[in-house]
Amino acid sequence: MPHQATGKAMAVRILLVDDHPVVRQGLRTLLQGRGDWEVVGEASDGVEAVEKVDFLQPDVVVLDVTMPRMNGLEACRVIQQKHKNAGPEVLFVTQHDSPQMMREALDAGARGYVVKSNAARDLLEAVESVSQHRMFTALAGSPRVPN
Amino acid sequence: MKLRILLADDHEIVRRGLCALLQKHEGWEVCGEASDGREAVEMAKKLKPDVVIVDIGMPSLNGLDTTRQLMAHDPHFKVIVLTITDSDQVIREALDAGARGFVLKSDAARDLVSAVEALQSRRMFFTPRVNDLVLAGFLDKGHVVARNEPPSLPTLTVREREITQLLAEGKSSKEVATLLNLSTKTVETHRSNIMRKLSLHSIRDLVVYAIKNNIIQIQMPESGRPAETTVA
Repeated sequence: MPHQATGKAMAVRILLVDDHPVVRQGLRTLLQGRGDWEVVGEASDGVEAVEKVDFLQPDVVVLDVTMPRMNGLEACRVIQQKHKNAGPEVLFVTQHDSPQMMREALDAGARGYVVKSNAARDLLEAVESVSQHRMFTALAGSPRVPN
Repeated sequence: MKLRILLADDHEIVRRGLCALLQKHEGWEVCGEASDGREAVEMAKKLKPDVVIVDIGMPSLNGLDTTRQLMAHDPHFKVIVLTITDSDQVIREALDAGARGFVLKSDAARDLVSAVEALQSRRMFFTPRVNDLVLAGFLDKGHVVARNEPPSLPTLTVREREITQLLAEGKSSKEVATLLNLSTKTVETHRSNIMRKLSLHSIRDLVVYAIKNNIIQIQMPESGRPAETTVA
C-alpha cells in the first residue's frame, strides 16, 4: 500500500532491480516523469533485492527476471513468503516476451508484467496499477490488460 | 563544439539509460536515436555524428552489419559496439567490421564514457578480453585469427547478409522485398544464392546458420525452454 502522508497525495516508493545499471538508469529516467513517485533504492540481483525490500519497505518492486545469484522469479517468491499480504507489489520488467514466463511470474506472486521492449510505453501505467493493487500485464504483441 | 553521438538500440529503456549517462558529460550531446540498424545507417548518413554507438542485437539489421555498412559508406565513422557477449567470434567480427570500441552492455555504465573519450582522442577502447585477443592476434603474425574455428559468413555480400537476417527473423520474401525496396523476384534470387553458397536446404537450416553466426540470437528463459528469437 503506498505510504500516505497526512493530508497529502500518496507517494509511491519504488525499488528498481536489474543487473544492468544502464537499464536501471533508463527505468529511473522514465519514472522521473511522475513527481509524486520516489525511487528509494536499486538492487542488481535477487539476493540484494530481498535484503533491500526488508530494509527500505518499498510499495512497488520493479523486478527483472534474469539476474545473477538469485533470479527475479525466486526473489519474488521469497519476498511474498516473507512479507505475506503486507509486502510490496511486484512488477516484472523483462525481456521475456512469453506467455509461459508471464504465467510463472504471476504464479510467483507478481501483480504486473511488462516487456522491456515496451517499457517506455507501459511502465508508468503498470506502476500506477500495481501500486493500487490492480493487475497489469502486457506482452509485446498482445493488448495491455490493466484490471 | 559539442561531440555529437548517435545511439542505436532497439530497447527504448536502454537508450534512455545511455542518454542519461552520456548527457551527464559536459560537451557531449546525443544527436539522434535509432531503434534498429537500418534506421541507424540512414540517420548516420544524414546527421554525420562524431561517434555512433550500436547495439549488436537489433532487429532488421544487426549491429555488426550496421557497422559494416557505416564503414563502407564512410571509413571515418567511429563506431562503438555494445554487446551482451564478448565471445571470440563476436569480438573478431566487430573488429573486422571496423568497430573502434567494444563495450559489454553489463559494463556500459562504467565503460561507455571511457570508450567515447578514447574515440574522441583518436584511440580505441576494448574490454580486457578483446585486448587479449588482439594481442594474441598480433603475436600470431600480426593477424587477429581464431584457431580451429571456421571463418564466419565467408562468401555473403552485404545485401545477402541483410536478407539472411530478415529471412531468419521469419519474414517472407515479399516482406523482405518491401523492406529493402526490391522486387520479390530479386529477393528470391538472393535467397537461392544464399542457400547455395552456404549449402543450406531449408529456412530451418538458415535460422540455425544465423544463430551460429551471431546474426540472430535465441533468448532462453530461466527454465531453459526455448523462447522467442531475437537478433544478436
